[in-house]
Amino acid sequence: MLWLWGLTVRINFKLLLSSILLTLSHSAVAQLNIFACEPEYAALAKELAPNARIYSATTAMQDPHQVQARPSLIAKMRQADLVICAGAELEIGWLPMLQMKAANPKVRSTEQGLFFAAEHVDTLDQMSNVDRSMGDVHSQGNPHVHFSPKRILAIAKALTQKLIQLDAAQSNNYRQQLEDFSNRWQLATEQWQDFATQLQGMKVIAYHSSFRYLFDFSGIEQVADLEPKPGLAPTSGHLSKLLKHATQGNINAIVIASYQDPRGAKWLADKANLPVVVLPLSVGGNEQSSDLFSLYDSVLALLQQVSNTQQQLSINR
Amino acid sequence: MKNLQFFPARLSTLLPAKVSAALVLSSLFPMLSYGQTPTLSTPTISVILDGYYQSDDRLLTERVKGFGLGETELALSTSIDDMFYGKLTTVFESHDGESEVNIEEAFMQTMALPNGFTVRAGRFLSDIGYLNNQHLHTDAFTSRPSAYRAFLGGHYFDDGLRVSYIAPTDLYWLIGTEVFTGNSLRSADESGEREFDSTGVYTAFTKMGGDIGIESSWQLGVSYLRNENGQLSPQEHDSEEEHVEDEHGDAHSASYTGKNTFITDFVFKWAPNGNYKYQHLTLSAEYFRVSDFIAADLHDEKPNGENNDKDYHQAWYVSGVYQFSPNWSAGLRYGKLASQLPHEDYFEQQTLKETELSVAWHNSHFSTVRLEFSHQSNVGFENAQNDNVITVQYVMALGAHSAHQF
Repeated sequence: MLWLWGLTVRINFKLLLSSILLTLSHSAVAQLNIFACEPEYAALAKELAPNARIYSATTAMQDPHQVQARPSLIAKMRQADLVICAGAELEIGWLPMLQMKAANPKVRSTEQGLFFAAEHVDTLDQMSNVDRSMGDVHSQGNPHVHFSPKRILAIAKALTQKLIQLDAAQSNNYRQQLEDFSNRWQLATEQWQDFATQLQGMKVIAYHSSFRYLFDFSGIEQVADLEPKPGLAPTSGHLSKLLKHATQGNINAIVIASYQDPRGAKWLADKANLPVVVLPLSVGGNEQSSDLFSLYDSVLALLQQVSNTQQQLSINR
Repeated sequence: MKNLQFFPARLSTLLPAKVSAALVLSSLFPMLSYGQTPTLSTPTISVILDGYYQSDDRLLTERVKGFGLGETELALSTSIDDMFYGKLTTVFESHDGESEVNIEEAFMQTMALPNGFTVRAGRFLSDIGYLNNQHLHTDAFTSRPSAYRAFLGGHYFDDGLRVSYIAPTDLYWLIGTEVFTGNSLRSADESGEREFDSTGVYTAFTKMGGDIGIESSWQLGVSYLRNENGQLSPQEHDSEEEHVEDEHGDAHSASYTGKNTFITDFVFKWAPNGNYKYQHLTLSAEYFRVSDFIAADLHDEKPNGENNDKDYHQAWYVSGVYQFSPNWSAGLRYGKLASQLPHEDYFEQQTLKETELSVAWHNSHFSTVRLEFSHQSNVGFENAQNDNVITVQYVMALGAHSAHQF
């Protein structure tokens, strides 16, 4: 076994030497390497930096709160020039571990290659006093900001600043991309606004506060949560309480996200005779949502379908 | 940071200090109110409460029959500046009615060295094997596999230095090397005259890992530990008694040592759609071989060249843990230890086979209540009668909860 030991030491030493030389002669990287914590930020990065190499740590089918600090993510973060995450403590259970293991000084601080979207917008539901008995709540507010068109635009602007800071050589390119994206986004936002007015006043039971910003934007009211407390799975006791609520009030639908377990929602839907809508949490959450634009289109269309069928039902009655 | 002065001065001396637990606890509680979002000036503070009831004694464990406290820990950590990160973990343990406060981790680590290098110095958990660098409260079973209990004193932490390097490749590849005092891995010294090397342990390890599709991830590790003080003392003769004593002696000392230790480990995790919220599976296995413990002159003492003694111990385990729902998980583990117990002029072969079934209820990420049935059968150990042990354990996390490793 001694040879193994000796070999490792020698390799280490060689690497140490070569790495010192490399640092001294490190030139600008041709292609920016972007690590996105969630697919919505990978999609935004693709709009703003189409030439970059972009990797998303999670998919729309995964709970972004609970991600394993697995080897592949450490390896990707090791190579990243820029890490884009939602922030507001959404990734607190795994991002610090990845940063520690990846040993990449470039993405340690928001002054350099780390970007938290929530830092550039006002978050909803900020709390001054957070207690564990309240469940998984974030004192810095709801971190699922990507369903707010105006916040996405603000984030896009801030992210462009970050891209320019890291890759000044392409700054004109980034400015152009932002302008192009902003124009398309503002046009689309007007359409979404029209859609949203039709949804206004809709009452839903939802799972977690995943769609807090979508409901805020479209005037939908989330009257109850399938989770007894944020982060805790629905219990039978809580579901039967919700059933009472559902049979009393004029609730339109039960809304869950693509990664959430549909069983509780389906049980409640059967008992209360309500439709279940599974909305993509992010880009890739269903077939239709391939980028941020189609994600919004798809989510609003799905909600409108429910709203329409219900209106027809009430007319028929 | 001003609250740090609440620590008794003797705790900071890196040596295990026996302090009245009550005194320390009362002086630490004011700090818990600082368990808010960590900033540069307020460190992350976390407390792990671990208590159990065990129906019988188990071989090579610190946990005794009846009610007891497991590793109750208090940890403080924070980024010190843009370059350094620091962590202090104190552990409250009770042995034979006496409370002990031990420092399990007190290290600083670089966070901003270029090109994937990291240096860690102080007291910390060695990165050999799969489980060793994980904290006990993250385990799915009430005690470590027999391999860890026999060869590493449960988990191996020590004072030393680590240098590691992570390659800039899509395949995760880490290599590292460590130097430690090796105090807890010294072989028994009855005469008290043996001169041990003060820097006794050197390790080298490599880990590789990646994903298979979206749902599965894996990690493979190979580690080597050289222990300059691992060989038996040449004059060691009627060591049977001492050895038995050793098993219950210093809680974190290895029961079996050797010059060379070789470990391979493999972990595989799976979750439907890669979504760990509801269901996930963890399979892991490790193999340990601890060799070259017979001192040179013991070899020579053999009459007629009749040398049938195995000069190695070995142990392995396989474990599978499945989380059925966010609230329930169950695990099954089987492990086998084959060791040599030194007698005056021969070695007695020992085997210990253990099967453990554990069922855990998680009210949230922060609270776990576990019921474990373990069956052990052994040959060559002193107390062979306790075959089945039932353990009930709780593990609670207070304050900030640091991220888990893979």
